[in-house]
Amino acid sequence: MIKVQNLSKSFNGKSVLNDISVTFETGKTNLIIGRSGSGKTVLLKSIVGLLEINSGEIWYENTLFNKLDFKDKKTIRSEMGMLFQGSALFDSLTVEQNVRFPLDMFTEQSAEEKNERVNFCLNRVDIKNANKLFPAELSGGMKKRVAIARAIALNPKYLFCDEPNSGLDPLTAILIDSLIKELTEEYAMTTIVNTHDMNSVMEIGEKIIFIHDGTKCWEGNNNEILISDCEILNDFVFANSLAKKLRQNTK
Amino acid sequence: MFKFLSSVGQYFLFLKKVFSKPEKPSIYYKQTMSELVSLGLTSVGIVAIISFFMGAVITLQTAYNTENPIYPKYLIGLGCRDSMILEFSSTIAALILAGKVGSNIASEIGTMRVTEQIDALEIMGVNSASYLVLPKIIATVVFNPFLTLMSIVIGIFGGGIAGTFSGVMTPENFIYGIQYDFIPYYIVYSLIKTVFFAFIITSISSFQGYYVEGGSLEVGRASTKAVVYSSVMILLFNVILTQLLLS
Repeated sequence: MIKVQNLSKSFNGKSVLNDISVTFETGKTNLIIGRSGSGKTVLLKSIVGLLEINSGEIWYENTLFNKLDFKDKKTIRSEMGMLFQGSALFDSLTVEQNVRFPLDMFTEQSAEEKNERVNFCLNRVDIKNANKLFPAELSGGMKKRVAIARAIALNPKYLFCDEPNSGLDPLTAILIDSLIKELTEEYAMTTIVNTHDMNSVMEIGEKIIFIHDGTKCWEGNNNEILISDCEILNDFVFANSLAKKLRQNTK
Repeated sequence: MFKFLSSVGQYFLFLKKVFSKPEKPSIYYKQTMSELVSLGLTSVGIVAIISFFMGAVITLQTAYNTENPIYPKYLIGLGCRDSMILEFSSTIAALILAGKVGSNIASEIGTMRVTEQIDALEIMGVNSASYLVLPKIIATVVFNPFLTLMSIVIGIFGGGIAGTFSGVMTPENFIYGIQYDFIPYYIVYSLIKTVFFAFIITSISSFQGYYVEGGSLEVGRASTKAVVYSSVMILLFNVILTQLLLS
């Protein structure tokens, strides 16, 4: 469980997040949704500690994460996996070396054990015969899957995904969503996904918070989102004509 | 002025992060070996070519500017030797390496920053500054003295070839000149400068790349800044070290 309390963040005096409080539950796919520039990525990066917050608290189980120093944060970070918007695979390493990197860095496993784990993770995300390829030789969808394999290599307790579907076709996007949901349930992780993709919201949104202009405007799940009274949320959810027609028909 | 002081402070904080205890020394060792190849061995060619021709030009210019029976011919060899040892092989070679290695480092680390690869390292709990920069600093500080020694040898050889084939002096004169009144401490002086310059090039370029914000345009700007700032600091430290070591 990750608990955020009264989190505020500003850049050069300009407020980006205002007094956000939310609890992300274990074993569930928690979604942060909102328009581009609403503060989703800043919230996610604040939660994982890549950005220093101005005020508020971030709790990982019973540990106040934002007050820890770099050394103490390492313990919790070894339990985190993150999928970045652009995948963030290391360009100079092959697919296999990318997935093995956290194992090399933080475990004392033998080469054989590491290879076994690498192959298991790559198989789990359905990447085959690509071990020796470099990131530049992969498609967008494959990069995301390799990044997921790297993120789960150390059996993380927390998985963070920043816009996992950006730049992917609808079918690949659904595959990535399903993979994230399956892994969350399989490993009982606390997963937080940043997205503005409504397909993802409907597919995997077990818990959703909606951010608008740095403020949390709504909280619920993928069933409740369709019948919300929040006007700003409805403008976001029913932004395209297909969604508008569906809503009219439902009414 | 405030911005400058703030950058200097940030640079020293960055160095503190770079020189903190490595997570896993064996990984750092492998990285250092790989950097020795990518930053050191790949510079051998350019340093060799430039040193050869600089040695040749120094010899010919010394010869044409000392065409006077008062000056003994062996002075040409001596001039080539001392120019290479005292200034060219350490300082000028460092300025050339600031262009090649400095821009390479700044653009590599800068690209890793804008594509979130550095964030990925941080999330894993890796000290990204140390992991990315420390092996580069060790590699250049260890390897550049060898480049300097090689540059001295090739430069003097180039001088000998140019002087002999152009007919400005005999090989015997040149060999006598490069042995005449040799002060071994000059080599030590040159190597000490090289170590300082290697540190300056690598740390300043890494610093510029590490704190890039934005996209490819900013990475390009960081590369340019890395070369300019490294070059200026090399020239400044050249004066300081010369005063300290030769006075």
